[in-house]
Amino acid sequence: MNYLIKELLRHRWRTITGITGYIIATFFLLLILSINSVNEKDSLGILKGTGTHFIAYIPSNTSCCVSCDNEGVNKGGSLFAEGVFTMMLNNDMITNIKKIPGVKDAAPYLLYKLFHEKFNTEISLGGIDTTNVATINNVCASADILAGKYLSNNPNEIVAEESFVMAHNLSIGDTLKLYGGKLILAGIINSGIKPGKADIYAPIENVRTILKEKLKCISPGFDMNIVLVEVTDARIQKRVIDQMKKEMNYLSLSSYNCYEPASNVITIIERTSLILSLIVFIFLIVFSVRTQLTLLMERSREIGILKSLGWSNSLLGRQIILISLIQSFIGATVGCLLGVLIIWLMNGNNLLFFDLVKFQVHFRSISTLIIISITGGTIASVFPILKLHSTTAGDMINNYL
Amino acid sequence: MSKYQIECISLCKKYTRNKQIVNAVDNINLCISTNEIVIIKGRSGAGKSTLLNLMCGLIKPTQGKVMIENNSINEVSNHVLSRLLLNQVGIIFQSFNLLPTYSVFENIEIGIIPKRLKQRIDKENIISLLERFNLKDNIYSLPSELSVGQQQKVAIIRTLVKEPSIIFADEPTGSVDDETAGEILESLLNLQRDKQVTLVLATHGNIIEQYADNVFTIENGRIKN
Repeated sequence: MNYLIKELLRHRWRTITGITGYIIATFFLLLILSINSVNEKDSLGILKGTGTHFIAYIPSNTSCCVSCDNEGVNKGGSLFAEGVFTMMLNNDMITNIKKIPGVKDAAPYLLYKLFHEKFNTEISLGGIDTTNVATINNVCASADILAGKYLSNNPNEIVAEESFVMAHNLSIGDTLKLYGGKLILAGIINSGIKPGKADIYAPIENVRTILKEKLKCISPGFDMNIVLVEVTDARIQKRVIDQMKKEMNYLSLSSYNCYEPASNVITIIERTSLILSLIVFIFLIVFSVRTQLTLLMERSREIGILKSLGWSNSLLGRQIILISLIQSFIGATVGCLLGVLIIWLMNGNNLLFFDLVKFQVHFRSISTLIIISITGGTIASVFPILKLHSTTAGDMINNYL
Repeated sequence: MSKYQIECISLCKKYTRNKQIVNAVDNINLCISTNEIVIIKGRSGAGKSTLLNLMCGLIKPTQGKVMIENNSINEVSNHVLSRLLLNQVGIIFQSFNLLPTYSVFENIEIGIIPKRLKQRIDKENIISLLERFNLKDNIYSLPSELSVGQQQKVAIIRTLVKEPSIIFADEPTGSVDDETAGEILESLLNLQRDKQVTLVLATHGNIIEQYADNVFTIENGRIKN
């Protein structure tokens, strides 16, 4: 060890050059990983929320269940989903669906449509659980509000889709005589293309009250006609749908299939990230091997002399590994510290690359880089050691490497 | 069991130079007994250094083998060869082969570091040898700060401190003045006499032939006599 430290200190410039190589490599790798980490987090965050939802319902006349609907049909109104009449569903279904692996959440939804002579059209009313994530992605969310306010506890307040409002020249605060009651238009919403889209929305409890007279069996236990489902990741939506169909084959399940492209893009991003990391690792190894082989070439004569004096290959090999490890550890540590400092200064001064790319350092990246550098250093020292074993002392002294 | 300490059997070494095969050592058979002083004579390029390098295992023969104390040094493991070079064989190079960034003391010490990994280096012994060769004042000097003769003396001390039973010396006096050459030869002969060491010297001159037990003349890679 004494000789090793002496060796490192004595050839100060050679040592500094070796360490500097690791510093530069680690510094840039940290920047790449930091950008990659932010990019991956942002893009995957967006994509993972794309195509993670679908709706489940039982069309009327399905022979599985006892239908407690549908007197409303005879009165000109009906429970529906995607253009078909549906049955009421038992609350146990939510519990059962939530048990399926991959299901993040499930919410009840009551969707009814009724022909109104005044408006000369069918108007659909959606009863939602306002805070549930499955509702947000399948029906509407407070973030979709264009004007006015979102749903509150006021039992008479509703929000309406922008298209409905425009078609009937409505304004915030208007009172609508709908469904046998007086409903106040509290907000205008544009929920976009959603599987559970309706013309107007109200909290599900209020809708139950509104529809009490219209539906035959709005009773405890049968509170909805649609279950809104949210899965944890777009990539597993197909698996969840298949599992649900297997367990409850009477259900009709409907999604917009956004999960397929989203899933593909997530896979592409993850693979790109993996390939990038792999390239980074290979680069580090190649760099380390090159550094170590250069050091061996430079030290060739010296090592040949030591071999001729009786230094064994294992003793010299241990030295090469230790020198490589020391250099890679110091280089990686300094490189990471430098990277963190630069990123900290850039973020502190709000400096963005191309006005867009932001860096974010993770402790995991630093530890990974140090481990990768040390691994690279170890692997890199294998080649000089093989060279050492395959070359005689005389050839090394004469530099016949 | 061979009665010889060193044996060269059908030893050949071929090089390729400018696409031509050069027989640097060509079918040499040689036997050296314990405590002998052997001189290998020859002109520059005759193959003396190559033969010496083959005899101490620094290079591998193209054909044939070298036996040292009944071990074929071309067939033993690297570990065994290292042990042999560390404990039994001392090599004095024509070009000294000192480590340029190490002091005189460190250059000597480095020859016995693997031997004394877990023990203290006998500094007193090194210092007494330096005194004997009038190098005590240069203990912390770098090789580049020494004269050629002094560098050769350091190389010799590095070998002596190992206390080998065989010393191979390649032109040990080749690049020094007559006075230093005399000093060096005297110390080698004293060592041979006092410590019962086998001495194999390669030279192109007629030095100490009168002390030699055997003189081999090499020409074009072959032993002449």
